[in-house]
Amino acid sequence: MPSISPFLKTLISVSGLSAHEAPVRQIIEDKWRPLVDDLSVSRLGSLHGLKRGRAPASPPALVLLAHMDAIGLVVTQIVDGFLSLAPIGGVDARILPGTPVIVHATGNGTHQLPGLVVQPAASLLPPSARNDAVPLQYLFVDIGLPPRRVAELVQVGDLVAFATEPVELAAETLSGHSLDNRASVAALTVCLEHLQGRAHAWDVWAVATVREEVGLHGAATSTFQIQPDLAVAIDVTFGKGPGASDWQTVTLNGGPALGWGPNIHPALHKRFKELAEKLEIPFSVEIMPRGSGTDGMAAQISREGVPTMVISIPLRYMHTPVEMIAYPDIERTGRLLAEFVASLEVDFTARMAWDE
Amino acid sequence: MKALIQTLTETFGPSGHEDAVRAVIRAQVEPLADEIRVDALGSLIAVKRPVRDGGKKILLAAHMDEIGLIISHVDEKGFLRFTTLGGVPPRTLVGGRVRFLDGTPGVIGGEVLENWDKVHTMEQLFIDIGASGPKDVRVKIGDVAALERPFLDLGKRLVAKSLDDRIGVAVLIETLRQLKMTPHEVYFVFTSREELSSEAGAAAVAFGIEPDLALSVDVTSTGDTPKGHKTDVALGKGPAIRIHDPGVLSDPRIVAWIDQTARKNKIPFQRQVSTFGTTDARAMQASRSGVPVSCLAIPCRYVHTPSEMVDMDDVQNAVKLLVCLLSAPVEI
Repeated sequence: MPSISPFLKTLISVSGLSAHEAPVRQIIEDKWRPLVDDLSVSRLGSLHGLKRGRAPASPPALVLLAHMDAIGLVVTQIVDGFLSLAPIGGVDARILPGTPVIVHATGNGTHQLPGLVVQPAASLLPPSARNDAVPLQYLFVDIGLPPRRVAELVQVGDLVAFATEPVELAAETLSGHSLDNRASVAALTVCLEHLQGRAHAWDVWAVATVREEVGLHGAATSTFQIQPDLAVAIDVTFGKGPGASDWQTVTLNGGPALGWGPNIHPALHKRFKELAEKLEIPFSVEIMPRGSGTDGMAAQISREGVPTMVISIPLRYMHTPVEMIAYPDIERTGRLLAEFVASLEVDFTARMAWDE
Repeated sequence: MKALIQTLTETFGPSGHEDAVRAVIRAQVEPLADEIRVDALGSLIAVKRPVRDGGKKILLAAHMDEIGLIISHVDEKGFLRFTTLGGVPPRTLVGGRVRFLDGTPGVIGGEVLENWDKVHTMEQLFIDIGASGPKDVRVKIGDVAALERPFLDLGKRLVAKSLDDRIGVAVLIETLRQLKMTPHEVYFVFTSREELSSEAGAAAVAFGIEPDLALSVDVTSTGDTPKGHKTDVALGKGPAIRIHDPGVLSDPRIVAWIDQTARKNKIPFQRQVSTFGTTDARAMQASRSGVPVSCLAIPCRYVHTPSEMVDMDDVQNAVKLLVCLLSAPVEI
């Protein structure tokens, strides 16, 4: 398995739901500390790693945004010892029953309680919900404890995180929860590793953002704070799976997808494409006809505007506990990012022209 | 406090047209604040300065606007078609009365339905101002009306239109009145335009003030009515911390601060995760480099109908809790 494998498996084995990213941030902090010149945490909890550029006197700045938050569930009510749920981010409820979870209980000290998402018998559901996937509002988490004990330990607002174990499959693929977007955090880490000992003119801000899944708040606020000259968002995109069309998905293990659309600055897209071709890194072009739905959307409209690029790792079964990626795509994305950083001339932005 | 709540809820102020209600609030807070100003989008900002330096800059936002109606078409017989300012459920409208900002009254009628098992859609409703000919029709496209419904005092419980969020406004005014000394610089802000889904008033306020932390003070729906919403929040059990809703993720440190302060001072409170609606905190959390936020909510039945209901115990406990929160230093 590739060298990034243990780190990525650790990343998807800790919790870090939107607005509660501290556990995963700690893991990333430890990994990045030797790779950057400076580390700090934003007011909303995003991790900022600065690797200084060699350009004399205030180098231009590039931000690389990869969100570290994950979707999950939160307790809305405790009914007879069972936990009712609301989503944090866009959870695909069709696949939830049977999923192992960890309840981060705070009712009486803190406890991490294993549990399972369960669905009631069909006879207990309203007729409209019997013949289809059961909507989230009718699902429960069962933590196995008697009702009185549950009421003591768990309170409304406690987080429920997926606990599916990572599984490495054939052909260098990995399945698990939260690969959206910890796979991109891993790619960003690969980029930082490639940059060790490489000369680059620009300041590079590696940012592990918070709250992407609930409104891009981390990208909006970190980009405002850093005031970069360029931004690149790294996220995942729909990998081709059974029955999916070639024009709506990209191939798993086919290399990073380079975004193209109104969220993307053409000069940045061109530079990424030329580099990938020159380096013989396989890639696809992903058409993003509206908003990209990524951190890039918030970065682009920060302050007076920031030229932005979105680069995505192919992923199957998005927003389920069994997301799937191919390791080589992470390596390729990390390497392409590093080559992009190293290629940036001090006057790159000055030479970017709209009518090229 | 009831008299103040009555005046606030019987004053009109649909989103973007808050002049009348702002004047009522201004008269209340002017003698209590160290500084008063109105920002470019019409929010009223009252500043309470600290006794000494070193505290936090805290923003409390209660929106003063209410849901309303805006005229989109006027026919020659004086029937007015309308669309809404904010989320007005059409089922709450038939038979209701409205009043335009210039005082013109009207009633809401509906087309005769083919199937009376259905409720009217907005397009099937109109306002009738009782005109007997074109000369009587002075209302124009773009004119704004609010629902009219008198305040009702049921003892411990109050019923009125626009308790969302005039009850939050009343809580902030009363908190400012009772707050003798604070280590913080506190901005009591009565925001405009909250009901218009982008919370533009609060967004501008947060950008302008750059607070260290912010709370919205709003209402939240309860689950204590027959086959009601799926929540344990009930009237009379204390103000609610709205920990999550579809737009806001409270900062866990602020939730802990409110939770511990309430416990320490033996003030009842409720925890809530709401699966619908949002508040001014949504716009404030992503302002500039980010603002830790949460929402303190007054439990309220029948939100966004002309007869919203709150419990005075919750109102007074919300004031008490805010005074406790603002009277002591905080590390966040």
